[in-house]
This record gives sequence, C-alpha cells and structure tokens, in this order.
Amino acid sequence: MRYYARKFGFYLVALWAALTLNFFIPRLMPGNPVDILMAKLAQRGGTVDPSARRAYELMLGTNSSESLFQQYISYLGNMFRGDLGISVSAFPAPVSEVIAGALPWTLMLVGIATFLSFAFGIILGTFVGWRRGTWLDSLVPATTVLSAVPYFWLALLLVAVLSSAWGWFPLQGGYDILLSPGWNGEFIGSAIYYGTLPALTIVISSVGGWLLGMRNMMVSATSEDYVLTAQAKGLRDSRIMIKYAARNAVLPSVAGFAISLGFVVSGAVITEQVFSYPGIGSKLLQAVQNNDYALMQGVFLVITVAVLGANLVVDLLYAVIDPRTRVSG
Amino acid sequence: MMFLKARRFSRTRTAAAGLAAVAMLATACGGSSAQSDANKATLVLPGPAGDFQINFNPFSPTSLEGAGTIFEPLFFFNNIRDVEPRPRLGKTFKWNADGTQLDIELRDDVKWADGEKFTAQDVAFTLDMITKNQAINGTGYKGTATAVDDTHVTVKFAEPSYMDGPQVLGRIYIVPEHKWKDFGTPATEPVKEPVGTGPFMLEEFKAQAFTLKANPGYWGGEPAVKKVRYISMSGNQATVDALKAGQIDWQTGPVPDIKNVEKNYPGYKAVTIPMNQVALFTCSNAALGCQGPQTDVAVRKAIYYGMNRTQLNALAFENTASEISPGAALLERDKDQISGKLKEKTAPMQPDTAKATQALEAAGYTKGGDGIYQKDGKPLALTLKVVAGWTDYITAVDTMTQQLQQVGIKITAQQLSWNEWSDARGRGNYELLIDSIYQGPAPDPFYNASYFFSTSNTAKVGETAQPNFARFSNPDVDAALAALKGIDPEDDAARQPYLDTIQTKIEESIPYIPILTGGTTSEYNAKKFTGWPTKEDLYAFPALWGRPDASEIIMKLKPAGQ
Repeated sequence: MRYYARKFGFYLVALWAALTLNFFIPRLMPGNPVDILMAKLAQRGGTVDPSARRAYELMLGTNSSESLFQQYISYLGNMFRGDLGISVSAFPAPVSEVIAGALPWTLMLVGIATFLSFAFGIILGTFVGWRRGTWLDSLVPATTVLSAVPYFWLALLLVAVLSSAWGWFPLQGGYDILLSPGWNGEFIGSAIYYGTLPALTIVISSVGGWLLGMRNMMVSATSEDYVLTAQAKGLRDSRIMIKYAARNAVLPSVAGFAISLGFVVSGAVITEQVFSYPGIGSKLLQAVQNNDYALMQGVFLVITVAVLGANLVVDLLYAVIDPRTRVSG
Repeated sequence: MMFLKARRFSRTRTAAAGLAAVAMLATACGGSSAQSDANKATLVLPGPAGDFQINFNPFSPTSLEGAGTIFEPLFFFNNIRDVEPRPRLGKTFKWNADGTQLDIELRDDVKWADGEKFTAQDVAFTLDMITKNQAINGTGYKGTATAVDDTHVTVKFAEPSYMDGPQVLGRIYIVPEHKWKDFGTPATEPVKEPVGTGPFMLEEFKAQAFTLKANPGYWGGEPAVKKVRYISMSGNQATVDALKAGQIDWQTGPVPDIKNVEKNYPGYKAVTIPMNQVALFTCSNAALGCQGPQTDVAVRKAIYYGMNRTQLNALAFENTASEISPGAALLERDKDQISGKLKEKTAPMQPDTAKATQALEAAGYTKGGDGIYQKDGKPLALTLKVVAGWTDYITAVDTMTQQLQQVGIKITAQQLSWNEWSDARGRGNYELLIDSIYQGPAPDPFYNASYFFSTSNTAKVGETAQPNFARFSNPDVDAALAALKGIDPEDDAARQPYLDTIQTKIEESIPYIPILTGGTTSEYNAKKFTGWPTKEDLYAFPALWGRPDASEIIMKLKPAGQ
C-alpha cells in the first residue's frame, strides 16, 4: 500500500509542478493579447481608433493590476474548480468549450492512428525478427527511412499524389463543411473519409519505430534458452514465434504504447496544420499566435493530465505484472 | 470585424511554398458545379479557418459578420473617395457652430427584422449602452445622446468634436433596444440570433459555413443578392485555390501574377486600390528614450533619399504600389488637402545619393574604409525588424539593404515572430521596422495624422504606445490637431493652414520614412455578378474585410443577366 501512496504523492507533486510551468511559460512570451488583436485588425486594413485599445483591454480583462503572484494564486484556484477562463482568440467562448470542441477530433484521429501504427509495427516486427537474415530485414531500413523523412514533407507528398493528383482524398478539413456535426451516418462517414489520409501519414511515419523496437526484442528473445527448449520439444514454429518469443518481446513496446497514448491528446500539431484538421494541435497554435494565455493553459493542462495519467497507469500496471518494481532494493 | 488572420496569411503565402506547389495541382481538380437559379443569386465568400465561433455582435473584434449587413450605421462614409456620406438609417445630420452638438434626422420607414419599428430611441439606447460599457467603445465615443422625438436624435459633446462625427455616424452599428436591453454584459454577448435593420438576416449557422439571406422588408428594397454564404477557408492558399476553382466570388489579398488575373482566373477581375502607406517606422524620439542612429533626423533623411522606390515596387510589390506623399496624406484621395508648402510633392522614386550624402556629412558623419559612414568611431549600422513570413515586406527589406549599402548605411534585417515584432513595436524597442500607416473612418488626412503623429497616442520607450510607434511628438502638430477638431470639416479654407503645419512638420522630421503607398488588391467574380466597384466608380473600398464597406458592395451587386 505504501508503494501506491508514494506513487500518488509523486504524481501530485508532478502535477503541481506542471501547472506552475503552464502558468509561467506562456507569460514569458513577448507581446500581449490586446496589442496582437489591435495589430491584426490594423493589418487587415481596418480602422483602429486608438481608443479601441482601452476598450479591448476592458473586454479581454487584461488590464488587471494584480501582481503576477496574485494571478498565480487565483489561477491555481480556478484550475482546482475546473474554471479554465475565457479564450481571447475565440472570444467570448470559454476555454473549456473550445477544448471540448477540438479534443474529440484529435482523440479519434491520433488515437486510431497510434493504435494502428502500434499494431502494424508489432506484427511486422514479430515476423521480421523471427525471420532475421532473410529479405524481410530490408523492411527495417525501409520503414526507418519513412520515419526519418521530415513528417511535413512526407505528408505534403502524400497530399500531392493522393489528394491533388489522383483525387482519392479531400485536401484538408475534418469533414464536409456543408454538413452539420452530429451523430448521423452521413457526417460520421464524411469524418472517416476526411480523416483517412491524415491517419495514414501518421501511421506511415511512425510504424518504423515500433517495427524496429519489436524486431530487436524478437532477435534477443529468439536466442533465449526457452525458445530453444520449445523448438527441442518440437512445437510448431508459429506457436513458438507468437506464444514464446513475441509474448516476451512485446513487453517494452506495451509500456511505450501506453505512454504514447498519453501523448495522443497533445495531438499532432503538424498533421493538423498540414490538413487543417480541427483538433487540439491547431487550437494550441492559434493560442500561441494570439497570446491567448487562457487557451494555452487549458490545452497544456489537458496534455499534462493525459500524459501523467498514462504514466500512472503504466506504473501501476507494471507493479501488477512485475512484482520486482514494487519492492525497493 | 472578422478574419483576423486573413491579411497575415496573405503574406505567408510564399513561405508555405511547399504547400503552395502541392495545392496548385489541386486547382486542376476543383470542378465548377452546375449553377441552378438559386446559386446564381448566392454570393459565396471565404471565411476564417476552422470551426466558426458563433458571434454576431457588431461591437466585438471577433465578430463573424453583421457590421453593415445585419446591423446598420447611421451613414456610410466612403473613406477612399472624398464624397458626401451616404444615408443609411440617418437622413441628414448637422453640427452646431462650435462642433459640440450633432443633430441627426432618422428615416421613419425602417423596421427591425422582427417587425418592431425602428425609432430614435434605439439610437439613443445604442449610444448610451456604449457609454456605459466602455469595453465595447472601440470608437472612443464620448457624447451624450437624447432622442428628441421618434426621428430625431441629438448628441452633445463636452468639447468641439467635429472629427468624431464619422466614428459616431459611420462606425457605430445601431442595435434594437427591445433585444439588447436584456444583455447583462454586451461585450461578451455572442448574439446568436441577430435582429437588425440591415439588408441581410442570418439564415443558417453551421460549424464551418453560415448563410445570410436577403431581408425582404429592407427599407431600401430587397437586395438582388439573395444569399451570402461564408465558408471556412484554411488560410490564404486554400482561398486562392477556391478562387481558381470558381468556388468563391470575392477575395482580398494578393494572388500570384496579379497583372494577369483576368487570364489566369477566367471570369474574374481584380482591382488594386492604394490605401495604406508603407513606411519604415523609426523609434525617432531620443527624449522619450529611443536609442540608435535613427534618432538623428539626418540619418532618416539619408534613408529617405537613398531608397530606389521604383525598384522596390517592381521587386517586392509586383508594381501594385504607387507614389507616396512625404506629408502622410493620400495622393489621390486627399489631393485638395495636400499642402502646397511641402518641399516635395511625392517622395522621389529614384535614389538621390547626393542629397543623402549631403545630409549625412552635414551631420558630422564621415565615410569609413568599408564605404559605410561612421561618427565618433561608430559605424552607421541599423537593425530593421520585419515579421517572418511577410514575404513582400521581406523582399522590400532585402532590396533596401542593398540600396542603402550604396549610400553608406548598413542595414541588418531581423525576422521576428508576429508576437515579438508587435511587442517591440509597441514598446519602442527597435531602431527601424517596416509596417504601414492606416487610414481613418472618413476621407480626411486628419485621421492618420491624429493616430500616428499625436503625442497623446505615444508613450515612453518601455511603455506601450498605440499607434504612435515612432514616438513622434511636436507641439505644433498637437496644436494643429486640436484646432482641427473645432473646425467644420466642410470649411476647407479654415482647415488648410493647420493641415499645412502637420504635413510640413512631418516632412521635416520623417518619423515614418515613407516608402510607397501600398495597394490592396481584391479579386471578384465579374461573370456571376455585376456592380462591383471599379477605379472609376469607387463607391466603397472594395475589400472583403471592409466594414461596413462590404455591405455597400453586396447591396449593389446584381446577378449577371438581370
């Protein structure tokens, strides 16, 4: 029990540290939301009367004379109550509403893509590791090259070929803009159609990592004595590969997968930018470009909680799977 | 009040060259759809990227739409041509002799979209609400309004306020008292079901598209454009693609190869209107804490004469820019107000090395061995800040660096993120930066002078100035600006001496070194609609983002063949 208490204590401290950083880091950025808003209105060619600055300060509530420390205390209080504040860039929408609108898109897209990439990587890695030394080994450099190519370039190439030249997929967006979002077949079908290419680019660019890790673990697992024993017993090859070698080799990858699930929430900023996907990554970019502290804090909070949560689950699971981690040396 | 990102994206266009190349291919596939009769009268416009945040509040800086189309001002001031204001909800307006009282007569045949009658009470309520809620007072309104009877409103000001007229009459959108009196905080009210007097009403709102429909009971008659549909566009490249595919009917912003729009986009035409004065902003005032060689007027003068504006126009602006007056008035629009006392009518298009050299040497600069001037052992070197991704400005800066090198001035360009750049500009932490001077709500050089050259809009270095970023401060100019507020804008003879003072002082000091007058280019579907503004008939500024200008244009459009 002490083990779990210590773990929870650690995660609480980590959460507090992350919340504190979430508060201070955005404020180190140059600029402030009102001037950005004024500059944008002016750049667009609009007439911006100097008195508008005062009005926007009042409107966005950025004229507070509170000290940074007071702001920090009330920020912690608001976070505790789940009040994320009002977004400046999507004014006057509350941050929670903006995030709630964007999060499902990211969760579905990046979540499914991460899972597919993991599954493909593990399955391919198992075969490649089992048949090491054959032509299958060339899959390793081939997929690593795809991972090494800058992601945005790979994505743009696929867009050029699959969307522009062949017209198989839409160029951008999360769904057909003439549809109203809702739980109906037409809309879900449109969302799947629009999400396929972005998901494909994520899978292609990340499958190499899983494959390489799994393949290497397979190689070391197959040289273990128990595999030799299994072969000596005359078990079928496929049974040895799956039940003996792969089952042991997959453990580190499972831990890695659980952690990468935590990062699903943070989305893929570049993916969402390339495809103009309406997810959390594009909201984060929007927040940064507009000095929208409240939205940045909200997005960071969601990411932090997700990553910490995923780590906590892995930690607890490991304690179940492997009793050695429970006892201190 | 929309599309905060539109202009910025227009500059990032070539920065995203990879995407551009890709998307160019896409245009080949974007087929045009069969046009039914309903589609013929539907104007399709590009909206901001991503999911729309519902907001039809005409006082909100993040409003999607409504200013001019759903909610109307009292008058329409055309800020690009020196013409009489066009009546909208108002019929006539009249100032008293000293400019402290404004009497407005209103139309009596106007109904709100929900059938209620529009009266002077609504106008008084709107003005009152702005006074009570400073957060929505984007125009700096400082009057007291009273409804005399159903069709007459009187606005009293504490001091002579002739110059506030265009803001009050032309930029405050009148809202219905019977709806808005229940809004606790009008600043944060998204007005999901807008009720206005305007030519259009909200028909349908979807996350990435919304539609306005013509108001059949509009006092000026139902507009010929039956529907206006805004669709979500992810940035400028997507907008240009949609234009190419004929999916949108109007967009403002540069497209590649501007001169050949009619050839490259069949059915479309382009119009380029000089509007904003592109200038090198200098932190010019040492008394307010500015540091660097640019605080010396001789250096600013040398830069002014060292530029080759013809070359800059060709290389950076596709020749869409035009000449600029050193007195900060617009050459064409303000031709009657441009001072005859200016030493130069326009900034020289060709470099004048002799004058640049003379200015520097008179100020004690000597030429060093590397061809760069120096004073007290310090070379004449300046940093010039530009926003990363603003490709036209970056090209201009690079070109200028080479041009000024020949005069003996070393410029180092520094590309910054938008946030960092606007922070440096506001606080005065810069030597030079490239930006533009924008115009006011009416065709009058008073406005940009009062915005950019008045001491009341500046601040010490380290504090935020808005928008007198050059920290220019001159008592004569301040006095002239104050005096102009008390002179009837119709009385040209009385105003001119003050305008002369302002323009000559600006020319003398050059706090914003004029480069060129930047052109704003809009492309529009001339095959589908007629009645677009042209250079000959500029009844409104033809930019998609112009508010309320866009509503004037949409009202004038007619489906082709009708």
